Amino acid sequence: MLKYIFRRILMLIPVLLGVAFCVFTLLYFTPGDPARMVLGDLATDEAIKEFRDKEGLNDPFLVQFGNYVYKAVVHGDIGRSYSSKRPVMQEILTAFPYTLKLSAFAMIIAIIIGIPCGIISAIKQYSWFDTITMIFAMIGLSMPVFWLGLLLILFFAVRLRWLPSSGFSTFKAMILPSVALAAQSISMVTRMTRSSMLEVIRADYIRTARAKGQKESIVIGVHALRNALIPVVTLCGLQFGQLLSGAILTESIFAVPGVGRLMVNAIMSRDYPMVQGGVLFIAITFSIVNLLVDLLYAYIDPRIKAELK
Amino acid sequence: MRKFFTVFIASILVLSLACASSAKDTLVVADQYDPTTLDPIGHNDYPTSRACSHIYDTLIFLNHDGTLRPGLAEKWEFLSDTAYKMYLRKGVKFHNGDEMTAEDVKYSLERAKTPAGSHIHTYCQDLDHVEIVDPYTVIIHLKKVNYPFFSSLVHSWGSIVCKKVVEAAGEDYGMNPIGTGPFKFKEWAKGDHYTFERFDDYWGNKAKFKTLTVRSIPEPTNRTIELETGAVDIAYPVTTIELARIEENPELELQRKVIPSTTYMGFNLTKAPFNDVRVRKAISLLLDTVNIQRAVFRGVGQNPRSLIPEVTKYSINNELPAHVRDVEAAKKLFAEAGIDPTKLKITIRSNERKERIDMATIIQAQLAEVGIQSEIIQQEWGAYLSILQQKTHDVFLLGWGLSVPDPDYAVAGLLETNAGTNYTGTADPKLDEMLAKGRSLPDGEERAKVYREMQLYINDLCPMVYLHNDEAIAGVRKIVKGFEVDPFEVHSFRNVYFEE
Repeated sequence: MLKYIFRRILMLIPVLLGVAFCVFTLLYFTPGDPARMVLGDLATDEAIKEFRDKEGLNDPFLVQFGNYVYKAVVHGDIGRSYSSKRPVMQEILTAFPYTLKLSAFAMIIAIIIGIPCGIISAIKQYSWFDTITMIFAMIGLSMPVFWLGLLLILFFAVRLRWLPSSGFSTFKAMILPSVALAAQSISMVTRMTRSSMLEVIRADYIRTARAKGQKESIVIGVHALRNALIPVVTLCGLQFGQLLSGAILTESIFAVPGVGRLMVNAIMSRDYPMVQGGVLFIAITFSIVNLLVDLLYAYIDPRIKAELK
Repeated sequence: MRKFFTVFIASILVLSLACASSAKDTLVVADQYDPTTLDPIGHNDYPTSRACSHIYDTLIFLNHDGTLRPGLAEKWEFLSDTAYKMYLRKGVKFHNGDEMTAEDVKYSLERAKTPAGSHIHTYCQDLDHVEIVDPYTVIIHLKKVNYPFFSSLVHSWGSIVCKKVVEAAGEDYGMNPIGTGPFKFKEWAKGDHYTFERFDDYWGNKAKFKTLTVRSIPEPTNRTIELETGAVDIAYPVTTIELARIEENPELELQRKVIPSTTYMGFNLTKAPFNDVRVRKAISLLLDTVNIQRAVFRGVGQNPRSLIPEVTKYSINNELPAHVRDVEAAKKLFAEAGIDPTKLKITIRSNERKERIDMATIIQAQLAEVGIQSEIIQQEWGAYLSILQQKTHDVFLLGWGLSVPDPDYAVAGLLETNAGTNYTGTADPKLDEMLAKGRSLPDGEERAKVYREMQLYINDLCPMVYLHNDEAIAGVRKIVKGFEVDPFEVHSFRNVYFEE
């Protein structure tokens, strides 16, 4: 098991190098001079030249990339933000708790609503409950989050005045963004649970369980659910990883100061170190979440545990 | 599971109790963006200037009408054209308890010339050094005569910092600022809000409330909603679409002031056919700028007639006639210049601001009436700026705002030869000479004459078509008293109090 984890962590290295290289290349070819964006349009040509020299922006592309990787690997330094002058890592770590909270809330909502809905839909296939759930799941899946977010604000903040429309410092303020962000995940979790449940309850061992006179609740809750959950766990993991990489639209609409908004601002102001650091951070988080999901997988699926040994 | 559920419900209760607000001793303001830093020389943008103005004081203060009044300097004396003697107020305390002295003033102003001050280089470039006469007197020496420099001391860059603290903090200074201002730093949740507290040892009038919280809410609609629901007391800025909602709400009021900011359509003078003044004038004559402004901004702001905005001194905006559309005169000018407008194809560039795109669309239609084909190209800010710097563009829409109340800043940055933001590529020796002369004269009639001539000359040169003078608009809850929107957009909350 440890060997497996170690191997997976080793595999992170080429992934991160690849990501860093892609971001670096893309930023390099994006129009807009970071020196101009950072120093403001009043800056003199000498100041711009000095900045470019100091930040190594005049070096050839590969030299710049090499320096970046060297500093990151050897000194653990991914630079200082051009605009706030603070270390990039510090900036990300200030923003990340917001994103983490937002994603965690959204995921909890998705699981609490999605899994039960999926199970009931599967057991009572083609019932009115199933039809309605599937219609809602379809709507939730296709509704763009910025639209849903605005509707939620209009209804709960403007019309009813129950909840604040922006910010993220109080529990009340967290409700709307979390719900908006959760909508898509709820739908996906519901649909996945339903289809995976449907597959399992037709399996032979379920028939055996029923034949031996097992109570229906145990047949569904223990025999069927445990097996049906495996793909759902994968899905949740992937979803969570995705949410963590910054729910850019949700964060912008609800003014949540998370990683997504940090990244958008950094891109707009050509804050190269910030963008690079941010993307790398997202890549790391995503990979770690995936690794955790795979480990969880082993825990709930004995077949995989056996393979790992 | 049951235990988890109980804990969950309990924590919700605790959290919602914690949210319940207490007595009104906190002013909550919604601003558009978060400050970039709290180091007064590390930026040149409005949200940061606003944040810094609460923490720091400058040597001189700016009145709403553009005149100056004593700040940390009690009085001043012009020893010569390049030496200003400043008598500092005694007994002024920094937030850490230290007294402000000449040492700090010298350090603060001279620090602006280091690379840390590259954003505001344009203001301090003519500063030579600051001489300490005694602990409460300094003499500011300039490299060359530059009267606008004195007014620029009201800008955030002229904030007095504590030498000891800045030197100790090094590069991280912007996060833990210490000033002499009416509020001291408490916390800054980046991207969300900053909180300052009243400084009880402030030398001037102390604030009437204890805590100031400024939230950054980029979406204009969200700012209005938060104002309507009472979650914020003052929202700034308010956009045109939001005006009616605030006006109709009996609990809210609007504060509006025309500000020294100009949106214009510039020509690229380095490129044919725009290097011909007749073509520029002809295009200008084709546009009904008064109604374009009215249609797009629906009653907010006005169509400028001069490059020096109405609220800035020496502006002759109100003496000039309104711009009139005259298609026949335009056709004649095209004929004189030997240009067939039906064969003219131009690009109109703009960044993504909606109002600018709207104006560009009307401009496109009005140009099409004589057969000029134009294409509107929208670009993201960074890409847009780099195109403008390469001078490959035809015409472009851009804005220019003044944070220092001197007419020199209204013109020099846009039209002086080789100025960094001179995107029209104007290089006119006569205009440069006028600008230099304007800078070398103390305020008075002679200086007024220079700027009068300059404004007429620029209108004749027609490097740009003026489109819009903006307004500063704040939405304020009616229980908030003593707030006045600042025409330089650095709003002060020193005198704000709540009506019971």
